[in-house]
This record gives sequence, structure tokens and C-alpha cells, in this order.
Amino acid sequence: MIEVRGISKSFGTMRALDDVSFSLGRGEILGFLGPNGAGKSTTMKIITTFLAADQGQVTVDGIDVLEKPLDVRRRIGYLPENVPLYPDMNIQEYLTFVGQARGLSGGQLRNRLGWCVEACGLVTEYKKNIGELSKGYKQRTGLAQALIHDPEILILDEPTSGLDPLQILGIRELIKSLAGEKTIIFSTHILQEVSPVTNRVVIINEGRIIADGNLGDLSREAMGTNRVFVGIREDGATVEAALRELGEVTEVHPLPAEGGCRFEVRGPFDTDLVGAVDRLTRDRGWEMTQLHEATFSLEDTFISLTKRADGSLKGVA
Amino acid sequence: MQNTITIFRREFASYFNSPIAYIFIIAFLVLNSGLFMTGFFLNGAADLRSFFGNLPFFLIFFIPAVSMRLWAEDKRTGTFELLMTLPMRAREVMMGKYLAALAFYLVSLAGTLPLPIMISILGNPDVGAMWSGYIGAALLGGLYLAVGTFTSGLMRDQISAVILGIMACFSIFIVGVPGVAATIDGWVPGLGSFLQHYVGLSGHFEMMLRGVITLGDLVYFLGLTAVFLSLNTLWLKGRKY
Repeated sequence: MIEVRGISKSFGTMRALDDVSFSLGRGEILGFLGPNGAGKSTTMKIITTFLAADQGQVTVDGIDVLEKPLDVRRRIGYLPENVPLYPDMNIQEYLTFVGQARGLSGGQLRNRLGWCVEACGLVTEYKKNIGELSKGYKQRTGLAQALIHDPEILILDEPTSGLDPLQILGIRELIKSLAGEKTIIFSTHILQEVSPVTNRVVIINEGRIIADGNLGDLSREAMGTNRVFVGIREDGATVEAALRELGEVTEVHPLPAEGGCRFEVRGPFDTDLVGAVDRLTRDRGWEMTQLHEATFSLEDTFISLTKRADGSLKGVA
Repeated sequence: MQNTITIFRREFASYFNSPIAYIFIIAFLVLNSGLFMTGFFLNGAADLRSFFGNLPFFLIFFIPAVSMRLWAEDKRTGTFELLMTLPMRAREVMMGKYLAALAFYLVSLAGTLPLPIMISILGNPDVGAMWSGYIGAALLGGLYLAVGTFTSGLMRDQISAVILGIMACFSIFIVGVPGVAATIDGWVPGLGSFLQHYVGLSGHFEMMLRGVITLGDLVYFLGLTAVFLSLNTLWLKGRKY
């Protein structure tokens, strides 16, 4: 649905994008991650035809964004980072204007207005001037604007910035509810935003794509090994020796514990480390107090990937 | 066409969504009518010559103030990005904005209609000259607005936009003044008279005050307006953000 092939963009001497490529299938949701200033917004501006790339090609639904920008724009609903609102209009006037500008009229426009206002939770503020709205409502009005023409593709630049946790949850639910029928790219620099919504991520740093794929795979790749935490009410030395004998285990690190012992056990990703430790404790008849696999936080993944990409932590927000 | 109408309606309404529109119109009417009426009874002539005669200079300040927000405001609030990603041509958006500003100016100008009515009651004026004066005033405003819309696009904030607009309109006005043209001719022979005839305003507007509308003057006003509107479209297409 969206194909980005080798795009580069410079602003003066600053190289904002350097050979960026990725693609997105119909109905997919892509989390576009990166620190501030990494090039997320620039990429989105190029896909939405607001900017032209210096090099490379972008096609949306098979249409080149430079050759037929109007056809591309028709298919896309876009929420820019700076929410484009007219403070002198109320929500109804504003959404009606965008709807008309997008070619809607009559009953169709009324239907879409009703749907957007409902879906984005704007019913109570419908007649309020946009200039008087809170940040959260402004953001939601921007989102409603992007949805007004029921686009196949949604490009959302930092859709949850400036929202309180409850509002973030609401936007997340909305994005999830659109999953499947719409192709969505949303950018964020807050890593926790991604995993509840999608698994597919592209990570960009200093204008370069440093990772593209499934969130789980990426974290594994970034962390290198699988880690399991185990706690057993038994003598530490005996347990450690037994753990070391397991074929799946490569490393055993003792951890501080109260009553019994605790270990961090490491091994390759393709083995059933938890199962092996579980079987061992059952065989020996030990009392287990704890057993869980380490989950890799997005932060760890992200820091590890950006580090690997440029050898330093420079630019990691 | 539909797209231009959509933009036009929003832009025109936005003038009246704030008190600025009313302040502008009142200032326009009070200043112009005031200036005119001060001399009217002294002159004792039943015509609008002095009213129209003031316009080219007065509008240098008034028109850029009307047009300053057209692009600068959109760039400041971010709606520029919305407009440029709507399924519309840059030209359609630009024309919608320009025509909205023009309509606003024409509303202000229509507010001066009591003057010709009053004169017709008091005396026996040359109706043809009044008509051609109004047509000239509309064309003059249209030209300044095209300049002001263009300069508004070059700037990110309204203050710079209005100052640049005033300077640009003033340049067009001043190169038409014979003395200035002669001075420029002194520096670069021929350039002054060239600018005076093809860019300069006074000569072309002067004829309309006398009640003469020639094809050449029409071509001058409409042509130069079209030039600035085309520059605006080119700028929109070639923009680097």
C-alpha cells in the first residue's frame, strides 16, 4: 500500500533523511519510532506530498506521490505534528470545511461528521470555538479532521502528544478499532505507545532506518539472549550446579534472595528455557518461588539499537 | 472551481469571525470619507476626484494589512500543511484566498457609496467619471492585493508580511511618479521610463479618474495582478518548508 524507496532529503546542509526505505501492506499498522528530530515528521510529510524528497520514490497504492499528488492526497487522512486548526472556527464549522474541501457534501458529509464527532469524543464540545479547547480536545479535533473522508490510509504524526493517560487510552482504542480496514502509520517517540497497538515497527535515528520488523524479533535481536528469572527454596550451590548442567543454559547469575536462592539464567532464544528449568525443579522436588521470562522493554531495545547504529547514545531522547 | 469556492467561503468568513474586519472597514470609511469631506466644501466641486486621488497612496497601507494574514497566519498555526495536503491544486487554494480578500476590500469600498449619492443630490457630477473611478479603485485594490498575498506567503509572521507588502506596493506606486522615473532615467537611461509605463501605477490610475478607461490600462492592472498571482502559485509549488 505504501512503498518508500531510498528517499533522501536535506534542508540546507542538514541531512534530514538518508536513503530511507520501508513498505507497508494494506491493513497494516506501523509504529514509526525515533527520537525527536530523527526524521519521522519529514518522512510523513513526504508521503503526504507536503514535501518532495530530493532523491528516491514514494508510491501510495501504486501511485507516485510526485506524479499524481492529488490522487494520493485523496486516499490519505493526515494529522500533522502541529495540529492544523483554525482557532476562530468551532468544531462543527472546521470539520465541515475540511469535509467540503475533501469533496464531501449533503448527507454523506452529515454522516461522516456524526461518525467522527462520536468516534473522537467531541460531542460535548461540538459548538465550542477551537481556540478555547483544551490541548486534548484540539488533538482529537485534528484526528477527526484526518478521518472525515473515511480515508484508506491514515498518517498520524505524534497523535497522542500532550494528552493525559486516559485520553491516550482513548486514541489507542480508536486506532485499534480502525485496524484491519485501514492502513495506518503513526509516529511517536514514546516507546510504550507502540506495543499496545501494533507489532510492526520501523525505527529511525538521525535520518536512517536502523530497524524494521516485528517488535518481538527486534527486541530479541537487540538483547541477544533469552533470560529467565528463577527462585527456589533450596541451597544455592546445589541449585546453581544443577542449572549449569542443563543443556539449554549458557550462563547462570546468582541474585540476592530471602530464604532460598534466586538466579538469572540465560540461554539462546530458540530453546525452551522456562520449560527446562521447570522440569528440573519438578524432577528434584524443589519448591519454586518464582519463574518468569524477562520481557524486554522497548527502551532497552531502542537504546541498544540506536547504540549499535552509531556507536554512542547521542540523540537518544 | 468548487475547491476555490470552499476556500473562499472559509477565508471570507474568517475576516468577519473577528472584530478586525469591522475595525478595518470603519477605519477605511472614516479615514477616506474624512479626508474627502475636509476638502469637499472648500473645493466646491461635485466630483470624487480627490477621494479616488488619495486611494493609491492610502491603499499602500490598507491593502497589505488586509492580505497579511492570508498565508502568514496559516504558516504560523500549521494549517498551511493542511491546505497543502488537501486534494486541491495550489492555484485553487491561492485563488480562494485572494478572492476572499478582494471581496472583503470590495465590501469596504462599497461602504463609500453614500459619497457619490450625496454628491448627486448636491450637484450635477460626471457620473461616468465616478463609475470609472470605482472600477479603477477595484482594479487598484486587486493589484495591491495580489502583491500583498504574494508577500504574505514569503513571510512566516504577519508583521513582516505587512511591512514587506507595504514596501512592494509603495515601489509599484513610486516608480510611476514622473519625477522618480526621471531620476532613475538619470542613473540607467531608459529604465525609469520603462518602469514608469509598465510597472508604475500613477499614469494608469490617473486616466481612470478622468473617466477614461483604455484597453492599455486594463491590461496593465489585470496583467500585473496575474503576474503576482502566478508568482504566488509558483512559490507554493516550489516551497521548501
